[in-house]
Amino acid sequence: MSFLHLDGLVKKFGDFVAVENMDLEVEKGEFVSLLGPSGCGKTTTLQMIAGFVTPTQGRIHINGHDITDVKPSKRNLGIVFQSYALFQHMTVFDNVAFGLEMRNIDKAEREERVRETLSLVHLGEFAHRFPRELSGGQQQRVALARALVIQPEVLLLDEPLSALDAKIREDMQIELRAIQKTLGTTTILVTHDQSEAMAMSDRIAVMNQGKLAQVDRPYIAYEHPGDSFVTKFLGKSNVFNGAVKEVSDGISMVDIDGLEFLSRCEKFPPGAQVDVSIRPEKVRLVEVDKGRLEGTIKARIFVGTHWVFQIVTRIGEMVVVSQNTGHQDVEEGSKTGLDWSLEEVRMLPRETD
Amino acid sequence: MAHETQSSLKIRPYLLSAPALVLYVGMFLIPLIMTLMLSFYSYDMTKGGIIEEFSLGNYTEVITDSYFHGIFLRTLSMSVLVTVFCVLLGTPEAYILHRMSSPWKSICMLAILGPLLVSVVVRTLGWAILIGSKGVINQTLMSIGLIDEPIKLMFTTTGVVIALVHVLIPFMVLSVWASLQKLDLQVESAGQSLGASPFTVLRRIVIPEIMPGILSGSVIVFALTASAFATPSILGGRRLKVVATTAYDEYLGSLNWPLGAAIAVLLLIANIIIIMSYNKFIERKYAQAFK
Repeated sequence: MSFLHLDGLVKKFGDFVAVENMDLEVEKGEFVSLLGPSGCGKTTTLQMIAGFVTPTQGRIHINGHDITDVKPSKRNLGIVFQSYALFQHMTVFDNVAFGLEMRNIDKAEREERVRETLSLVHLGEFAHRFPRELSGGQQQRVALARALVIQPEVLLLDEPLSALDAKIREDMQIELRAIQKTLGTTTILVTHDQSEAMAMSDRIAVMNQGKLAQVDRPYIAYEHPGDSFVTKFLGKSNVFNGAVKEVSDGISMVDIDGLEFLSRCEKFPPGAQVDVSIRPEKVRLVEVDKGRLEGTIKARIFVGTHWVFQIVTRIGEMVVVSQNTGHQDVEEGSKTGLDWSLEEVRMLPRETD
Repeated sequence: MAHETQSSLKIRPYLLSAPALVLYVGMFLIPLIMTLMLSFYSYDMTKGGIIEEFSLGNYTEVITDSYFHGIFLRTLSMSVLVTVFCVLLGTPEAYILHRMSSPWKSICMLAILGPLLVSVVVRTLGWAILIGSKGVINQTLMSIGLIDEPIKLMFTTTGVVIALVHVLIPFMVLSVWASLQKLDLQVESAGQSLGASPFTVLRRIVIPEIMPGILSGSVIVFALTASAFATPSILGGRRLKVVATTAYDEYLGSLNWPLGAAIAVLLLIANIIIIMSYNKFIERKYAQAFK
């Protein structure tokens, strides 16, 4: 049996279903992200694991024990909050020592474990500072140290990096992941930032409207999304509505506004309404008449590592991303051909709103 | 041209603050200085009232006379009592209010702040109706047979303290409320997740975090009690004099304005000393955590 097991979790607030029949199994030492837009139920799920919200239905098991009815203070979980929630009137040392004090660990051991954990997060010299004297990134590390020092069974991270600057956030992602790997603590991260989830997690659990949309390793979830929501939420994608015209030799032909779109996928029978998705970086700009589709460049944006093109085609607007590898001589307003390989075209069940 | 603009720019702040300055000097500073001067004069009925000669007589009288010692000590102990009760009642009140959900939060907030809209005199007279020997409380208790004779609350320290706590508790609640607003709601969850019981979270985290609010609320309540006039004069009467009512009586009863002024100045000095040393203590204690 898995280490953390969410078994049919349901949370209703009045008529509103925040979390619907959620099943998730997390292995020991695994790093899993709950990813989704705001209001998708990811935070409510985390709150249920933490014990601050009581599930309407379902059970939560950790290491074989049913903790559904255990008080938050007895669950032995480490939680890093979005606002850090540091104790402002205590020094960094006392903040980190608090959890150990509550566990009646004697002073000598307490001191040693606090020192160890503080040096793990590179805050050794800051033990006697107060939280307000630290930068956002340092406060974040204190919050992490405070959660880790109690050697929690599961570490819960509630959008821990969202308050940090982009640059520090990237550094912290790498560092947090490294620390998590060193300690081997089973970790659940709640985030709405898909790149953060992909960068840090062993697996991503994408949530939409209270339900799990897909649980997969980052690469698989990105390359083989289960539905249009996942493909749009995990990075950008060009999605078109169409109907399957015919399937032959492992290749489906989808009719999109009269354009015949081919995909190496045969999941859907002829006549099925589908969404066809292709990632911006999988589309190449080629000479006019040499591609599968023609379009006019509406806008061209340079973002350093790559160019982003907005291209108007007869089936709708497409976004194309090309690496900044050389001279880009396509001007705004000019015509271009678009090409891609059939393997990169995904067919997904039609999204129903 | 440029020079002119610069010099006019320089005096602009002074011109802008002039009206406030005039008001402050005229309404506060001058009367204060005049009171201070008055306190050094003496009073002799046989010589036709106030004698404008410098003397420390009034001060030596107040400082040496045990009658005044009693009044100052009563005022001090009353202030401490009221402050302690305001802390004990106001802090939980503010915390409960903070935890309430709207619309009850605003309704209860209004109920707490509402009395501030009513004059202290009116509220105190209300208390007189309630706690008098023929008042509502005593009548009720006697009619249901809980007591045989009325509890003496009018003209007692207990009565005055009850009324002052009621009058001043909104200041305590507001002060604690302000620091609760700054308190991160998640710290309580954080405390629990680290293994602390809800009570321990209150004792070790919430109360220390809102301590600055409790302390500054205490300063306000203490200062207002020490200089309170209406409530002690109506509910305490002549038998239960405090410093403010004594000064008033010297002015209007004995017409000994200089002595009244000296009492008022001593109250001011005592208040300043107590509050400043209290502030120093707070600052030293919380310097690092609450800048």
